[in-house]
Amino acid sequence: MRTWHRNFDIGLLLTWVGLVCVGLVAIYSSTRGGAQEYLLDSVRLNFNRQLIWGVICAIGIGVALLLPVRFYQTIAYPVYGLTLLLLLVALFAGYEVNGARSWLRIGPAQFQVSEFAKIGTLLAVAQLAATRRVGVSPLRHSLYMILLILVPVVLIVLQNDTGTALIYLATIPLLLYWSGLSLSHVLLLLAPGVSGYLTIVYPPAAYVFLALFVVVLLARRRGAVSVGIALLTNGGVIALLTYAIEAVLQPHHVARLMSFTNPEAIEYRYTVGFHLVQSKAAIGSGGLWGKGFMEGTQTQGAYVPEQTTDFVFSVIGEEFGFLGSLVLLLLFGFLLMRLVVIAGHIKHPFGNTFVVGVAAFYMVHIFLNIGMTTGMLPVIGIPLPFISYGGSALITESMMLAIVLNLYMRRDDFSIYGY
Amino acid sequence: MEEQRLRVKMIVGSMLFMLLVLGVRLAQLQLVDANAYSGETQSIAVREKRVIPARGAIIDRNGRLMVDNEFTYTITITPRFFDESQIGLLAEILGVADSTVENRLAEARAWSSFRPSPSFREVPFEIFSRLQENAHRLPGVWYDEEQKRRYLTSAHATHVLGYTREITRTELERRLNTDYRQGDLIGKSGLEKSYEEILRGDLGSELRLVNVHGLEVGGFRDGTADLHPTSGYDLHLALDSRLQAFAESLFVNKRGAVVALDPNNGEVLAMVSMPDLDPDLFARSMSAAEWQGLTASASTPLFNRATMSMMPPGSTWKPFMALMALQEGLITPDQKVYCAGGHPIGRGIRFKCLGVHGYVDVHTAILKSCNTFFFEMMRRADVNTFQRYANMFGFGLLAPSDIGEQTVGLIPDSAYYNRVYPRGWTVGYSMNLGIGQGDMGVTAMQLARYAGALATGGTVHVPHLVRNLHHPETDSLIVPDLPPPQHVAVDSVYFNIVRDAMHQLMEIGSGLYFRIPGISSAGKTGTAQAPGEQKSHSLFIMFAPFEDPKVAIAVIVENGGGGATQAGPIASLMAEHYLKGRVPDAPGRLWQMNRLVNELSSDDL
Repeated sequence: MRTWHRNFDIGLLLTWVGLVCVGLVAIYSSTRGGAQEYLLDSVRLNFNRQLIWGVICAIGIGVALLLPVRFYQTIAYPVYGLTLLLLLVALFAGYEVNGARSWLRIGPAQFQVSEFAKIGTLLAVAQLAATRRVGVSPLRHSLYMILLILVPVVLIVLQNDTGTALIYLATIPLLLYWSGLSLSHVLLLLAPGVSGYLTIVYPPAAYVFLALFVVVLLARRRGAVSVGIALLTNGGVIALLTYAIEAVLQPHHVARLMSFTNPEAIEYRYTVGFHLVQSKAAIGSGGLWGKGFMEGTQTQGAYVPEQTTDFVFSVIGEEFGFLGSLVLLLLFGFLLMRLVVIAGHIKHPFGNTFVVGVAAFYMVHIFLNIGMTTGMLPVIGIPLPFISYGGSALITESMMLAIVLNLYMRRDDFSIYGY
Repeated sequence: MEEQRLRVKMIVGSMLFMLLVLGVRLAQLQLVDANAYSGETQSIAVREKRVIPARGAIIDRNGRLMVDNEFTYTITITPRFFDESQIGLLAEILGVADSTVENRLAEARAWSSFRPSPSFREVPFEIFSRLQENAHRLPGVWYDEEQKRRYLTSAHATHVLGYTREITRTELERRLNTDYRQGDLIGKSGLEKSYEEILRGDLGSELRLVNVHGLEVGGFRDGTADLHPTSGYDLHLALDSRLQAFAESLFVNKRGAVVALDPNNGEVLAMVSMPDLDPDLFARSMSAAEWQGLTASASTPLFNRATMSMMPPGSTWKPFMALMALQEGLITPDQKVYCAGGHPIGRGIRFKCLGVHGYVDVHTAILKSCNTFFFEMMRRADVNTFQRYANMFGFGLLAPSDIGEQTVGLIPDSAYYNRVYPRGWTVGYSMNLGIGQGDMGVTAMQLARYAGALATGGTVHVPHLVRNLHHPETDSLIVPDLPPPQHVAVDSVYFNIVRDAMHQLMEIGSGLYFRIPGISSAGKTGTAQAPGEQKSHSLFIMFAPFEDPKVAIAVIVENGGGGATQAGPIASLMAEHYLKGRVPDAPGRLWQMNRLVNELSSDDL
């Protein structure tokens, strides 16, 4: 009789419970206040539905924990294949929500395929790491990995869901770093993103960043190739973005891209900047202690659009203040730290790659979502893990965690001949 | 393995860095800039609703409620929540056609489908309560409560009470830093204006949560931040509303003014200015055309004649002249002046008397109202002395009173004559003053004060309408701080001579036929020439009872003829009404009243 249950990470499960509860509290406050009769019927029921999704997820986690690790390895590629198929189906026969054709309807329920696809993609990436042959160079392995991720990304972009596609891309550097790519290469991958961001916010900062980056590369004695790539990619991004903003993009696209830097400007505040003006006002007015549960004027007055979904953080910021927000950040911090530690404990590449991938997805979601609601980043419609209302997202995130719990619990079951 | 540990550290580091960035950003928003955001967010999401307190009531000297407030209801429709199948029900309750409701609904929708739109104004309480009963069937139908003044007695007292109207733009601009807003009521004249601040009370505020559509969706912090209003003080008047109503009833079809005072303290018992208006007209919403009609009316009903209209006092001025002459030694009580039907200056033509009185002393001169005597007194007097004495009685000065609208009148001095007659003037110019004609003007209020001074033997009180201000909730009492009474520097011996002559006038003189049954009184008639071909103004001053005066009255009936025909009977009836509580049925008195109400009128009315 093996004592596998001793390896169960109860702390991680409790963190999941805590986060889901925080989400339910926020959704309850924004839909069950004194003003609920003025809300759309579709929004008013969000709390009940999220509660049901939470219960379903709890059952799902229980089921996922019962399955052996081999099962996940076995289904990895088939699931990946199924994922691509579903993405294709959604692309052609999908249901459109907020302009993104990424939803499938099964009976009364709607599912966002691009969410579920995260699990399939991660399983495939983990399986790739598990079946990596000896002698394959990190760069070549990285290329395969990037390809595995890029296929769903392309489909999701075609579905017009750029935000979600961006999440996939943003996990790549972390996954590659974990699978052995050197830090310099990872930085080469990351730098264009930073350059692009700075170009939008304050172009001179982008030039300074590029210069500094080159200096660091030279200091680390990287070859001319690296420096060349850095100059090419970063310079390319800066030039392309500048050119696009100046000449190619339509004014409304530029506004969407730029408005987050100054949403209060009169030309933005009632249009593309409205979300941010209201969200910043709600969070800022929360102050240190917050206005109290169900007492947030902005939340109760439904000022922040999408306040149960993408902008749910504004509810927490307003009603629970800086201290409440800090508690949430600490919960997220514990979750992420724990995941990375777990990854270190699982020796099998399938296990630890999957766990790191999950951590990467969570981290990107958290950073982009809170960054967006606090006005640091452009508004891209992505949810806050476990907190935002949304069945597909909650199931995806919970199942990722369930698999992590399972892999960690059964970490000794991995075949030592697994690859 | 060493390498993997490094990677774990690097990843943990990057995650901590990311969380740190978010934490710093949150600190910036919620700690550093928090104040900036809370101001902004409060102003959007929390709407301050002003709560107007109940305006103070006005109560007469006998505790009779004259003015209080009633609510009018404005029915609002919020199209977004209105159930269109109930148009018929709403129309039926309101008593209007279905199409009217449809029109109002369309107007409301054109304005905003989310906000309550005021659709039916001044709905009576019965209809309002029927709407309340059917509220569950009429979603989106709600109401606004507005205050309006309610007048409870039959007395109009238009010029005493004044009126309230919606504040005008210019007044708002003048009151920039106050809590007055467009649509607020403000006292525009009379007591409503003089006591505006204290009648209005202190405004409260109610904080309402407003959602993104601008809809009020509930209270804010369970009302803990709300400010409760404090109602205004009640005004307790010296006015006797029954006497006021009685005086008004005697004044039908006449133009003029009456002021009745308590000579012992200056309390205004009645103040009538005719023509007047039903004050309820002001309380209702009035169209601009109606308003124009009132303000431009030839009979100027908004003008307070009792304190604003200058009149020559005519013969009512003679007691004053007698007092001045006696005190200044222009004549002694025993000396006589010969009246041959006119004054020698102007060869008896320019300064005529109404009779040929022969040798007359002061007493007889007042009793017979001899012009010659008083022309002579004015010939002997100096205009500046004349002004000094007149001022002692309050003529030519503003009374330090709570009556806002006043004119000083006109009491000339030598400087006045120098200014008006730059080519020089002689005593002939000022002799007319002796009989209350010529370059002078007084108000009914000033005459009543003068009558009071005659009654008390020289004490001139400040005329005032308000006895005290009482707050119904806190029970706090404010008694207006009145200036002390003035004393006329005339010997009481002289006062007694004049008072006795006025008493005789009522007992055996021209006042005989309207003397008060059973009560002795003193009075003086006056007939002031009106310009051109108009009938003379009828004036009368009196006080009663003679031995212990309780009421002093001055009556002016414009173009009413001789003083004894209209003004005298009015004053006498009022004094009787005040002293006895009513006018008992006596054949002579009933005839007087009937005659006043049905036969006599101002010339051109």
